[in-house]
Amino acid sequence: MNPVAVSPSRLLTIEDDPVLGAYLHEQLGRCGFDVIWCQNGLEGLARARQEHFDVVLMDILLPGMNGLQVLTQLRQTHALPVILMSALGAEADRISGFQLGADDYLPKPFSMAELRVRIQAILRRVALDRMPGAPTVQELPPAESGLLFDDEACDVRRGEQWAGLTRSEFRLLDTLQRNADEVLSKAFLYQQVLQRGYAAHDRSLDMHISQIRRKLKTIGYYQHEVRTVWGKGYVLSASDAP
Amino acid sequence: MSLVPAMPRKVPGKNSVFWKLACLLVVFCLLMIWLSWSWGRYMDKRTGFLSEQAHGTLVRYAGEAERAWESAQQAGVDQWLQGMGHREPGWVGVIGQDLQSLSSYPLSDRESERLTFLRGLDWPISHIKTARPWIKVPFPRDPSAGSLVIELPQRFMPGRSQVIWRIVTNGVIPGLLTLLLCVGLYRVLIVPLNHLREQANAWRADQLGARLSSQITSRQDELGELARAFDQMSERLQSTVSQQQQLLRDLSHELRTPLSRLRVACDSEQGGEALRERLGREVDGMQRLVEDTLQLAWLDAERGPLPVEDIQVQALWEMLTENARFESGWPQSRLPCLVDEHCWVRGHLNSLAQAMENILRNAIRHSPPEGIVSLDGRREGNMWHLWLDDQGAGVAPEELERIFAPFTRLDGSRPGDGGFGLGLSIARNALRLQGGSLWAENHGGGLRVHVRLLAGHAA
Repeated sequence: MNPVAVSPSRLLTIEDDPVLGAYLHEQLGRCGFDVIWCQNGLEGLARARQEHFDVVLMDILLPGMNGLQVLTQLRQTHALPVILMSALGAEADRISGFQLGADDYLPKPFSMAELRVRIQAILRRVALDRMPGAPTVQELPPAESGLLFDDEACDVRRGEQWAGLTRSEFRLLDTLQRNADEVLSKAFLYQQVLQRGYAAHDRSLDMHISQIRRKLKTIGYYQHEVRTVWGKGYVLSASDAP
Repeated sequence: MSLVPAMPRKVPGKNSVFWKLACLLVVFCLLMIWLSWSWGRYMDKRTGFLSEQAHGTLVRYAGEAERAWESAQQAGVDQWLQGMGHREPGWVGVIGQDLQSLSSYPLSDRESERLTFLRGLDWPISHIKTARPWIKVPFPRDPSAGSLVIELPQRFMPGRSQVIWRIVTNGVIPGLLTLLLCVGLYRVLIVPLNHLREQANAWRADQLGARLSSQITSRQDELGELARAFDQMSERLQSTVSQQQQLLRDLSHELRTPLSRLRVACDSEQGGEALRERLGREVDGMQRLVEDTLQLAWLDAERGPLPVEDIQVQALWEMLTENARFESGWPQSRLPCLVDEHCWVRGHLNSLAQAMENILRNAIRHSPPEGIVSLDGRREGNMWHLWLDDQGAGVAPEELERIFAPFTRLDGSRPGDGGFGLGLSIARNALRLQGGSLWAENHGGGLRVHVRLLAGHAA
């Protein structure tokens, strides 16, 4: 999944619950991450400042220092990705978490698979950000696909027919097109295209996909279509019936 | 909410307590001024005249002087005056029409001068001057013959009772009236406040059902407004508390079901894999229940409007039916959208999608095999009126409103396993928060759920 990182990614988990903390430590280690586990907010902040980490995973209710305070302090000096996880599922906490600069917010309880998807989405986005210039490999040669991507206009066209995509829709289709035939998780698409964390009730991405499908259908483009892969994400692939 | 009355106005309204107070005080001040002025004058008059007794005595003296004049002319008067000198210490004289003395005593210049401003018997006596006035009393039988002039004896001077009257008119009566005014003001202003205090104390004692008497709430002025606001506040407080209690009761009741199933699974001899699968299922169910309840509580607590955007209903429907098709296995042909692509509404995407999804799930769950669930609508002014039809058995008319209450599950009449009965409740709250409304009716062949939303503009 992560072709850029050669050495295992370093994770810092700040979680005071011994059962959940130990479980995260063990499971994430098994997934191939290098995991450091702190049980205290202050200690976690100190380590995050001194050492190098790829992602910080943090609870909100913590002894020593509250997770939101740690985030505020950390953001003054460091830009490293932070995932908040909390049993405080309330919308207000999610919003204040994002306002303080959290990259994602995961309400407890969550499954290990869900957490892995979120971490990988962030790692992948960071890796793409670090790449010197986007890869200009056109997965779909214009002549063959019949769909032309215009970065300037932020739109696509088939012949002389413009689809009339919005900026977000164009970015989304562009991302899918660059990774054609690969299933991209919703968490990654949120990070990459909408630049925010993914929440269960957030339907913006689904709505963008729905609009892209409608607009491609309107200009009569049927060679490829955006498909939903249930429980995983979206993929742009060749249609069964052209 | 619209229950809050208009905020501070510059000019007090028609029914304001300001006018009441102003009228009361102005009338009171004018009354006081008039009262003290007119009473003072009246009392001055009453006490400024000679008493009956003084009147009688002076007339009697004049009669005596007349008799003395008639009997012996000048000598008689001299003799009578001599006798008078013993009876009255002040100046006494008898004069004729020409203001000349009828006695043998000549008048000094000063006395002559004083004779030019004599006072009559019926004239008011000034109480400001301390000098005793000279009174002219004409002879009773023949006033043209002459008059008696007498310095008013000290004992007949009016004005001793004047001080007492002054205290009464200028002190005691205004004081009493002011006291009455205070009682009036207290009744107007403080008594309603005492009622409010009693009500607040009742809340403190957890009697949330306590209400103010209609006597106060029906007042038209600010205190009436305050009392009504107070009553509305307690209404809202009571309903919120009872809703919360109901929610808590329902939630714990709902949690009992998966917990007891888990208990059974725990006690049974099931193998590891089956147990784990069951555990996962029950945990998922409980998690959904908790999330839905939190969502409902959040929607209920959220007072401000949600951020809205323009949403194309066709795209929304395609997104929702894609999920629904996956969950239910229905083909797209059984989920038609009858509104065209020009139908755009203004709403909060996430909560609108969730609301519509809940309505759609509900419709699918209660549909017969091969049933159709369709979305249709029409433009009504600046609103879009959408409706979602299913072909299920419908709902009993008296239950049409109850299906929107949390944890309501109608048993028997409609097929389907049902969720927790939170979906429609969440949908209604979500639509309310974005300025829309949600209601249901039976339409012959099933249930029709109506949605009204502000119309939007195509992006």
